[in-house]
Amino acid sequence: MAQYKVTFLPEGKAVIATSEDTLLDAARLAGVYVSSLCGGDMICGKCRVVVKEGQVFEEQHMLLSREEVRSGYALACASHPRSDVVVEIPIESRMEGKQIVVDEDAQRFSGLAKVDLAKYEFEHAPLIEKIYLEIPPPSLEDSLSDLSRLFRAIRTHVDVPIMQTGLKNIRRLPQILRRGDWNITCTLGQRGGTVEVIEIEEGDTSNRNYGVAIDVGTTTVVVHLIDLKASRILATDATYNSQITFGEDVITRLIYAKEEVGGRERLHEAIIGNINMMINNTTAAAGVNLQHVTCALCAGNTTMMHFLLDLDSSNIRREPYIPAATNVPPVRAVEVGIQINPRGLLYGVPGVSSYVGGDITSGVLASGIYRAPELSMLIDVGTNGEIVIGNNEWLVCCSASAGPAFEGGEVKFGMRATHGAIERVKVLEGGELVETVVIANEKPRGICGSGLIDIISELRHVGVIDRTAKFAEPGYCSRLRRTDDGIEFVLAYADDTAIGRDIVLTQPDIDNLIRSKAAVFAGASVLIKSVNLRFSDLERVYIAGGFGNYLDLHGAIAIGLLPDVPLEKVKFIGNSSLNGAKLAILSREASLELENIAQKMTYIDLSSNLKFMEEYSSAMFLPHTNLELFPSVT
Amino acid sequence: MESVVEKWTTKVNTITLGATKQMGGTREKTVTVGGSSTLPYLNFEGAWPNPPAIAIEMWDREPDGWPEPLADAYADVWKDPAKWAKRAVEYGAEMLCVTLKGTHPDFGNRSPDEAAGVVKDVLKAVGVPLIIWGSGDFNKDNDVMPRVSEAAKGENCLLGTAVEKNYKTLTASCLADGHKIIGESPLDINIAKQVNILISEMGFKLEDIVIFPATGALGYGMEYSYSIMERGRTAGLSGDRMLAQPVICTVGQESWRVKEARGSEKDFPTWGDLKKRGPLWEATCAATLMQAGGEIVVMRHPDAVKSFKSLLREFTA
Amino acid sequence: MALTGLDIYKLLPKTNCGECKSPTCLAFAMRVAQKQASIDQCPHVSAESKEKLGAASAPPIQLVTIGAGDFKIAIGNETVLFRHEETFHHPAGIAVTVSDKLSEAEIGARADKIVHLIFERVGMKIAVDMACIMNDSGDPAKFAAAVKIVAQKAPVALILASDNPDSLKAALEVCADRRPLLCGANASNYQAVAALAKEKNCPVVARAKGLEALTDLTQKITAAGVKEIVLESGAEGVRQTLEDLTKARRYALRKSFRPLGYPMLTCMMGDGDSFLPVLKAAAYIAKYAGIVVTDAIEPWQLMPLLTVRQNIYTDPRKPLQVEPGVHKIGEPGSKAPLLITTNFSLTYYTVEGEVEGSKVASNILVVDTEGTSVLTAWAAEKFTTDQIAAAMNKYEVEAVASHKKVIIPGLIAVESGKLQEESGWEVIVGPKEASGIPSYLKANWGG
Repeated sequence: MAQYKVTFLPEGKAVIATSEDTLLDAARLAGVYVSSLCGGDMICGKCRVVVKEGQVFEEQHMLLSREEVRSGYALACASHPRSDVVVEIPIESRMEGKQIVVDEDAQRFSGLAKVDLAKYEFEHAPLIEKIYLEIPPPSLEDSLSDLSRLFRAIRTHVDVPIMQTGLKNIRRLPQILRRGDWNITCTLGQRGGTVEVIEIEEGDTSNRNYGVAIDVGTTTVVVHLIDLKASRILATDATYNSQITFGEDVITRLIYAKEEVGGRERLHEAIIGNINMMINNTTAAAGVNLQHVTCALCAGNTTMMHFLLDLDSSNIRREPYIPAATNVPPVRAVEVGIQINPRGLLYGVPGVSSYVGGDITSGVLASGIYRAPELSMLIDVGTNGEIVIGNNEWLVCCSASAGPAFEGGEVKFGMRATHGAIERVKVLEGGELVETVVIANEKPRGICGSGLIDIISELRHVGVIDRTAKFAEPGYCSRLRRTDDGIEFVLAYADDTAIGRDIVLTQPDIDNLIRSKAAVFAGASVLIKSVNLRFSDLERVYIAGGFGNYLDLHGAIAIGLLPDVPLEKVKFIGNSSLNGAKLAILSREASLELENIAQKMTYIDLSSNLKFMEEYSSAMFLPHTNLELFPSVT
Repeated sequence: MESVVEKWTTKVNTITLGATKQMGGTREKTVTVGGSSTLPYLNFEGAWPNPPAIAIEMWDREPDGWPEPLADAYADVWKDPAKWAKRAVEYGAEMLCVTLKGTHPDFGNRSPDEAAGVVKDVLKAVGVPLIIWGSGDFNKDNDVMPRVSEAAKGENCLLGTAVEKNYKTLTASCLADGHKIIGESPLDINIAKQVNILISEMGFKLEDIVIFPATGALGYGMEYSYSIMERGRTAGLSGDRMLAQPVICTVGQESWRVKEARGSEKDFPTWGDLKKRGPLWEATCAATLMQAGGEIVVMRHPDAVKSFKSLLREFTA
Repeated sequence: MALTGLDIYKLLPKTNCGECKSPTCLAFAMRVAQKQASIDQCPHVSAESKEKLGAASAPPIQLVTIGAGDFKIAIGNETVLFRHEETFHHPAGIAVTVSDKLSEAEIGARADKIVHLIFERVGMKIAVDMACIMNDSGDPAKFAAAVKIVAQKAPVALILASDNPDSLKAALEVCADRRPLLCGANASNYQAVAALAKEKNCPVVARAKGLEALTDLTQKITAAGVKEIVLESGAEGVRQTLEDLTKARRYALRKSFRPLGYPMLTCMMGDGDSFLPVLKAAAYIAKYAGIVVTDAIEPWQLMPLLTVRQNIYTDPRKPLQVEPGVHKIGEPGSKAPLLITTNFSLTYYTVEGEVEGSKVASNILVVDTEGTSVLTAWAAEKFTTDQIAAAMNKYEVEAVASHKKVIIPGLIAVESGKLQEESGWEVIVGPKEASGIPSYLKANWGG
């Protein structure tokens, strides 16, 4: 098989690829990000590249216009090298740095924040504790073995009935005790009902006790390095989940894991790589020795946890949707490849089912809805919209497959909330005038979820679309025009953009958004009706997710994504998954609470729920077929 | 004994079709449907002022493939819409449903003017109110219906159908020419509401809309129609203004498509006399759907009409 | 009123122990509320809670079984006023009359005719399931003789229609093992009839004019030890009958009023009109009759009636499925397109409608996805390459599409490569929405 060198611009990274490989494969090999939603199936048309030098063979597809082909555009997933080639990744196909507001804490606390346990009434008692011991030396009368002596000393400090430790520690123990002149520091880790002596050090190192709380999202991964003793966040980092190159959504990745040889391993390695990189970044930034990081706590959806732990995920998407595990006991972090102290422990937040995972359990903890007597709802809007309703007596939850539209997927000029994304839109003068706010005040490259919500509600407001979300006839306003592919609305003209093309919204874009919002609302409707209640019974509504940071509530209600409850009842809680994880890593009480919450949550499966389709079709309208449900906007 | 009377909050809209001379039209009489404040014929708990009205379906062209019992009733007149109209009235039609099949691009592609001519002929031939039903081809209907609507201006007809994807032209015509409108939805209560909302947001009165929820023939989805109608009606009576409209059912058209109603005795010897079987199949479908709240029943066979009428007479007695 | 899941949850131990095989107490409570689980499955529920739940979960309308062995029907035990709220559970019995005034030969012939009132529709057999022998002669011996003939000839549940206890007794001598419905008891004969019913363990019809009189009568009959009762209000006119049927159902369901918590029987005789009794019976089947008795006996009379019953008693909660296999739209030739979709009826009929609208004669291969729509089926691995390729083989699509091209829904475009490999066919990705089908077919397959 012929081999060629493929060079990617602007990075200049080069890699050797075969004639069988696609340019997308080559980009993965080179570690260069090229946007792709379908994972290389020639469906999404997102992996547009420009072949600058050399020959490629391109398979047939209809995803580029004639004009684009003429100006050198090709789809990376359809193109195979036939010579050494130089390929430029245009701005719209690139991953531009980090998401600006991945996590509100990352901005707000910028590395020096204290987690306020008291606010949640949790006692400070981290999952991993370091205690300094001055142990009475042995004598002929007091002739306990070194190990029993150690355990006796520990018990004078903490009340633990069962203790264990590894052989390696016992081997080192006599030396360390004596070298430290019987003054040592013990690292104790919680493992279910028992306590493990993880580490024994000479002298007093109890001030150096660190852990990482990790939010393993389908799209983004966030790491917070925490001083467990001081309850302080020392450094934070966030990145895209590298698994994205294998598929944008959970289902595509599950298929990849099952169908591709070595797929599961690649997914596992991708996420472990992300996490290790960020642990390195944060420890370096805070000047912390990796040896002193003895604890990692991960919150993620059930599929992400399977990939992280390299569990068999093949039954998750198959009825009756059974995961390998939703509540995995603590394991050695190195066992899965996470590089912290070799004896450090990895904890996972327990989940409920295949489609409601630990990220949601964690969100319930952070929102506090499980302890409040009043009825509350938590909505985490992402590729899956997870919804929890309940109070201190009961909790029900569900997961609605919303699709990636709110994260920029399945939308022609959709993108994530990064540099150049239109995040707010106002449409005036019957559709003639469009005002936008672009992240980082740049020229726009595309539009992100919050902008898409705005645009739907604004277009409806000025009558460019009707209540079925269909465009009016072209001529309604000058920005509404007919092309070969149907009608589209121009958000920004080429001259005003960073990509040199008009940024438009098409009818299929709108249809995808309407489907997404309908799925989330329908899920919430089914859930609240499953307990014979109504939205008007809700006292509080919490919105979570990276998305929640920008969400314009008026718009979200106007398009019928959120139920029409008084705004003062609604609260954004940002990345609730990470916030819950931080509470749990700092407080055993909180981490036990996570178990209780997961056990208590009653999962309502929507895929087998006949009322879901009914609710879904009634939500496929602006704002909703039952206008009376939205008195504030109709 | 305790009362089990249901406290419905809303009445079904009352709708009057046809315009007499005093009302600016040429109809000899009008037909009023709706106005009930309870489910069909539960007079013990509310008013059921107007019995369902029966319309007989006729075409603007000779139909093809109508089975023998229908041919016996109409074959000698179905080439002439005016004669067909008179025959249908003789059979007891309170209204006529003129179906403009011949305008469909695949069934003759007749011009808007031809269609308007047929409607004028029918208006001249009979004195009952008209329902005028387009061919179902969106583009063609948008050409034909405005012309037809204009030709029947002032006659207060019922025009159909407006659907979610094509409602604007027809709604505008009905507004301009003073007709009532049929909003059609495909056995989906949500879309039924959506169509009503879309039509009403063009300034059309909710009181002038008739719901066509799509009709399933007995044995072929009738239960869907039945439950959609019953759900819509109980919601309408409970205060949902978007579902408080009278309902029209195309019982004849649907019934005569199915093999139980049209299959020959030769092909189905154990099923018995086709001349009785077909009409009874149609009438049974009408009698059942009436229980779900059908107000305008569009039928075909004279014996089915006669029999359904005698059932209504007993209910009204 | 029925208890909700949350109501029941409050009576449970709330330990989420899982011993009932539900993951949480609330999940269990919801299943109990939907009658998918019994409270007895909870090993830790208190006796007090059990009692509270027991009272609330007793069926508001008595289940009545008529007949024995293979010739048995069950009616009643209905839970809703409208089928869309849940479903109607026990299909009404449809009974054809046989008068004992007829000659023995005529009785035999009529019984034979009843046996042949059986039709096959959508893969299901629908049949007249009851015969009602009328003691028109008033003579117990004649009645018993007629009953004997019908019982021998017709494998159906029997109704013995006589208000003469002697006639009923005589008839029971020949058919008690068939557990017939005694029709029936009225204010003057109920003691004798109830005693017979109790002795022979037969269900009985309580017949009185108006619901108040019926209330009184059923209480007397139950006091005499008979549990399975069918009501007949003897109303005059269709409107009054409809009122009685509706009110009785509401008393039972809305007020948990025991004396009217039974299925109802209505009777329609032709009086020279062969259509009208069928239409009335259709209306009563829709509105709450548990048994309809009619003298109609022609197949063209019973076929629509049996179909009304089949339609009305179809469970609306079950997603309706289309028969898997190749469906032809128009008259497709060898160059006609082959489209693939799922067997969820809504999905299929949407596709079918659009294909029909396109006027391009086509074949549609329906894949069994257990009644789920395209995306749902795909996500749950019921509509992926394996299943599609298997269906292509099973239904021998090559016979209808020698061109070896197949069109899959745009929503499962990701399967195209694998399916192409697996099947060796050219796989074309069709439109994502059914509404795109006409323009696609016209442009690419329009001939």
